[in-house]
Amino acid sequence: MKPFGYVAAKDSEHAVALLAEYGQGAKVLAGGTDLLADMKFTPHPPPEVVVDISRAADLKGIALTDAGLRIGALTTHSEIVHSAVVHQVAPALADAAVVIGAVQTRNLGTIGGNLMTCVPSMDSGPTLLAFEALVTIAGPSGRRTIPLSDLFVAPRKTSLAVGELLVEVIVPKANLYKPTAFQKFGLRKGQALALVNAAASFWTSEGLFSEPRIALGAVAPTVIRAPKAEAYLSGRPVSEEAMAEAGRIAATEAKPITDFRASADYRRDLVAVLVKRALAGAWDRATPNQKELAS
Amino acid sequence: MNVTLTVNGEIRSASVPPETTLLVFLREHLLLTGAKTGCDIGDCGACTVIVDGKAVNACLMLAAQADGRAVTTIEGLATREGLHPLQKVFEETGALQCGFCGPGVILTSKALLDENPDPTTEEIRTALAGNLCRCTGYVKMIDGIHEAAKMMQSATPALPAPEQR
Repeated sequence: MKPFGYVAAKDSEHAVALLAEYGQGAKVLAGGTDLLADMKFTPHPPPEVVVDISRAADLKGIALTDAGLRIGALTTHSEIVHSAVVHQVAPALADAAVVIGAVQTRNLGTIGGNLMTCVPSMDSGPTLLAFEALVTIAGPSGRRTIPLSDLFVAPRKTSLAVGELLVEVIVPKANLYKPTAFQKFGLRKGQALALVNAAASFWTSEGLFSEPRIALGAVAPTVIRAPKAEAYLSGRPVSEEAMAEAGRIAATEAKPITDFRASADYRRDLVAVLVKRALAGAWDRATPNQKELAS
Repeated sequence: MNVTLTVNGEIRSASVPPETTLLVFLREHLLLTGAKTGCDIGDCGACTVIVDGKAVNACLMLAAQADGRAVTTIEGLATREGLHPLQKVFEETGALQCGFCGPGVILTSKALLDENPDPTTEEIRTALAGNLCRCTGYVKMIDGIHEAAKMMQSATPALPAPEQR
């Protein structure tokens, strides 16, 4: 790697101060699994200084709060996979975390780092969008909380301003226990980038889909929702046919590219299949109580 | 910058530039060359070491990130009394051929068995997904890990010392 400066942040406040000090020249290191791989092979000059936040204890941990499920930005994928509270209130998050990279990368890589890469194929994104997650951002003028969907701007570009830091992800209280499922299709079972990934969630009321949410990865410049497919399902009786049709509609909302991994047509076909499976998976996850309300 | 860590139970330190990865720190500054440089981008797992109980790719971690932490490399597994059960089983069953992936595979397996003393075949396969081996086809490794798990559960006492040549 080309030489760069290095400074370690004690906590999030210190990290924000360091980011203010170094401005454009700073690059945040969380787990490092993406940043280091990038810095080794990029033709671009290295950052002036790497701000290592990996020891900031206040950015770690998973807890239920008044706002909902709070996941610190530095929480590793392995910690999410093994979290009892995640399995209880939002198990689809563990399904998405366990297919990221391999054990070694899941032990270092963090949820905040995954979101901040803002690559369209990220596996953390779709499930969190289906849960309508919020993210808290710290900066020189304090903290603000925005919908996760407002974080994603373009490939590798988030809405964070220079000097800002992602500090936590929140699954809102109203969406805890919402039946949700994640699907990924890669070229191998292990350690593969998603050709397409998808997540779906819905409540049921009197046998009808209520508040359906569908999110897609790797088929647009960022992870996206599929609003037309959601609108189609909303208020419609729960059925396999409706799930399949929602998949077909979502495929028309995707804007995939053709690259060396797969063609755009193939990716669109995958969207239809994975959305249907994610909806069926969410239905499987609904408790008997939640299903009873449905019938 | 000065980096101090506990490697295989010994406190070691060196003064290194910030861009030094843990892998370069171990290999070039501490001369512990058991962890291999394969892809150097986190795909192959040949550089796997254990940091505070977790298997990680040493090529994707800065030495500075490991400062103050406990690192186990392949050099730290065998004791005066003999090889670690995983090493012994891998040797006896021929679970390695060229051996380049071996240190990484054994450390990933050790981290797995330390957390989960009786893993299923599926759990072993999941754990090994980040360790590429192009010789063996993995079958003997998986058998060997099951075997080592049995040995480690039944016999807490150390294995007999290897015969001296």
